[in-house]
Amino acid sequence: MTKAKEATTPVLRLTDVEKSFGSVHALKGVSLEINRGEVIGLIGENGAGKSTLLKILTGMYQPDKGTIAVNGSTVKFRNPRDSAAAGIGVVHQEQSLFTNLTVAENIAMNGAASKGYGTTLGFYRWGKLNKAAAQTLEIIGSKLNPKTRVGDLSFVDRQMVEIARAISVDTSKNATPLVILDEPTSLLERGETAILEREIRKLKDFGSVIFVSHRLDEIIRNCDRILVMRNGELVADRVTTTVTEDELFKLMVGHESHATAHERRARPANETPAIEVTGLTRKGKFTNVSLSVHSGRVTAIVGTSGSGREEFSRALFGAEKFDGGSIVLNGREARGWRIPKAVKRGMGFVPAERKVEGMVGGFTAAENIVLTHPGDAAFGPILKPWKRNKIAQQWFTTLDVRPNDIGQNLERFSGGNQQKVVLAKWLSDPELRVLVLDHPLRGLDPGAAETVNEQIKAACKKGTAVILLADTLEEALEMGDDVVVMRDGVISATYDLSVDNPSTLDLLERMV
Amino acid sequence: MTATISDTGSVASTKASGEGARLRTASKLWQAGGPLVIFVAMFAVVAILTPAFIGSGGITIVAASAAPILLVALGQAFVLNIGSIDLSNAAITVLGAILLAMLLGPLAFAAPIVVLAMVTLFGAVNGFLLAYTQVPSFALTLGTLGIFKAASLVVSGATTVYVSQNKEVVSPLYTTQLAGLPLTFVLGVVVAVIAYLFLRFTRAGMGMTAIGKNESGAIFSAVRTRALKIAAFALSGFMAGLAGMTIIAQAGSASAMGLGSDLLLPAIAAAIVGGTSISGGVTNPLNVILGALTIALVPIATAAIGVAAEAQNLVYGVVIIVVVALTLTRSRTAIVK
Repeated sequence: MTKAKEATTPVLRLTDVEKSFGSVHALKGVSLEINRGEVIGLIGENGAGKSTLLKILTGMYQPDKGTIAVNGSTVKFRNPRDSAAAGIGVVHQEQSLFTNLTVAENIAMNGAASKGYGTTLGFYRWGKLNKAAAQTLEIIGSKLNPKTRVGDLSFVDRQMVEIARAISVDTSKNATPLVILDEPTSLLERGETAILEREIRKLKDFGSVIFVSHRLDEIIRNCDRILVMRNGELVADRVTTTVTEDELFKLMVGHESHATAHERRARPANETPAIEVTGLTRKGKFTNVSLSVHSGRVTAIVGTSGSGREEFSRALFGAEKFDGGSIVLNGREARGWRIPKAVKRGMGFVPAERKVEGMVGGFTAAENIVLTHPGDAAFGPILKPWKRNKIAQQWFTTLDVRPNDIGQNLERFSGGNQQKVVLAKWLSDPELRVLVLDHPLRGLDPGAAETVNEQIKAACKKGTAVILLADTLEEALEMGDDVVVMRDGVISATYDLSVDNPSTLDLLERMV
Repeated sequence: MTATISDTGSVASTKASGEGARLRTASKLWQAGGPLVIFVAMFAVVAILTPAFIGSGGITIVAASAAPILLVALGQAFVLNIGSIDLSNAAITVLGAILLAMLLGPLAFAAPIVVLAMVTLFGAVNGFLLAYTQVPSFALTLGTLGIFKAASLVVSGATTVYVSQNKEVVSPLYTTQLAGLPLTFVLGVVVAVIAYLFLRFTRAGMGMTAIGKNESGAIFSAVRTRALKIAAFALSGFMAGLAGMTIIAQAGSASAMGLGSDLLLPAIAAAIVGGTSISGGVTNPLNVILGALTIALVPIATAAIGVAAEAQNLVYGVVIIVVVALTLTRSRTAIVK
């Protein structure tokens, strides 16, 4: 597949790896090579087989067919410990650290402690443990104190601990570590992403990296080579300098991007805004925030994780309290503001934590869709399941939810398809006036992200006002009619994009 | 296994209807039919070992002893379904029975209504405290359990309260039989059917199940979680009161230590054997009927096998563990508390 026949053997070589789950052929013969000091980008839609491939590399699954060779010798990973011993470390998308333990304990947890390193007869030898952790942290250029409790660290610092843990797998055998970064940036804010990218360049000096991300710009910026997966196969292996984002999108999804540009609607002069917020304040979180959104317009709020925009958006929906200020919906003030009331008045909210807050796992997709507005599929208090199924089936068709099975437990859908269902739950309300979206594209592949964005635009066309907490500044500039920048709980800038034309750098300046 | 399916979901798209669906049907079938299989097995043991028992009105006896267990278990199933537990409902049964015994004389036909209103209120207070103080239900109802027990002792003066007159208002519940089954048990079955329809086909029932499956998700879906929690506990109190009524119908008297005072564990066991999940979001009131019958058969089966009466609790314990192990739907990465 690749012409890498230099003197060095590849760090990792997969030959015709196959894996099936029942009738589902998740990997259909994948072969690849990764060389020393290479940063490989791995992309593909949700369900393309990336996660299965990663789980095989980390010993969670065993391949049905094919071989894995590390540094030229064939290996069999029976469990994650085998894989770690061979020098493969993972930084998981959703962090897997023990927040109640210290940095040093977490780094040692990767099987090292069980092999007598830093321990005697199962007892910690704190001095040794902390020293070893400090050494590992130094390699990746982090100045964290090994004795700090992980729970007290910021998100990006925790990611550094994850990386330190990933590379601490092998120092004895003189082999180069292979670090797998599984969507490490999807939960990071802009500034933090830069720190991580610097780290990736540093990792190249002593190891190889597999970088999984849905953000194609990031992939192009950081990787030497890009592998594209689709339907369980490796469909492309490209050197980064020869591809564009559009090309990668097409390789991943199988068709060209259909994304339409958002038709901007100028701010109407004398029309009551769908939502008008005046001087909203919550002590310690946000202060004196005022904004108004008209029907059919999108206000994107950007800010770092301490900016208070999350708390503000949750307060709008009645999910958190506020101490002062007012929210006026269609000219009527919101009083005794709680979620059921907000929903009754035509508000919707797509939370960032999809699995925890966005949906009820264990319920079918159809049940989730009608949960918030059961009135449409009920006669008084009595449910009408056939009506529910009809509504759900319509949304499944509109949003191209796969698999097309409304009776399946929503937990079993992939992230992108779950998010479509969560969105349908709100869009199915014909009276939807204001939709608040907290990181709606988090963890979605570009294909699913496109569908979600198209639906947001369609809702706007029908007259819904949208408040969007975007993942990236580019997303904010693409989707927003107005962009509001928040910093330390207050609005630091407001741009009307029908008049202003700020760059991402302008926004960034106002954020930090 | 679940993790894999979510990962490969869209690859599977149309093909998934094959094995995945078959597996799903099989596990659903067992979830629905498991309690029946276990009841039939239990019944077979008793029938084979003591054929005389079945012939000589034994079924009537089993149904009569299952009735209060069933009613308390149905209330417990509602509370378990919202992800909580009600340790106080069996104590409400006893308190309700004592109150009914005292009030039947002066109030006659109004007495059951007054008592049911009171026990429903007791349950609602449990729910209200849970919803607004957020004390975990286990601790909260452990507390109210003590309060209701003390109330029973105080109200009854620590003696047995006999129904002085108007006993005939409730006694037909026990003495009348329908196809060999006492009306108390028939009442339990009717309540179970209504509970089933309520949970499957009403907005409130769906909301309660949503709370049990994922409370945060339910809150963000505008489900009125507080009101529904209060309702679930109120229903638990109401059904405990019905159980108290069956006790008066059967015994004509009530005391803090007498009939019905040890219903708590059998009722929880009946709910669980009937397929109700301890962690919330899963229950089927129709299967709780079978759970209650299975539990009511335990003492009889114990005697049939020849185990000493003192060891009866041992059999209870074994039955619960075995049954739950058989009916649980497992996943390799599941976290058990």
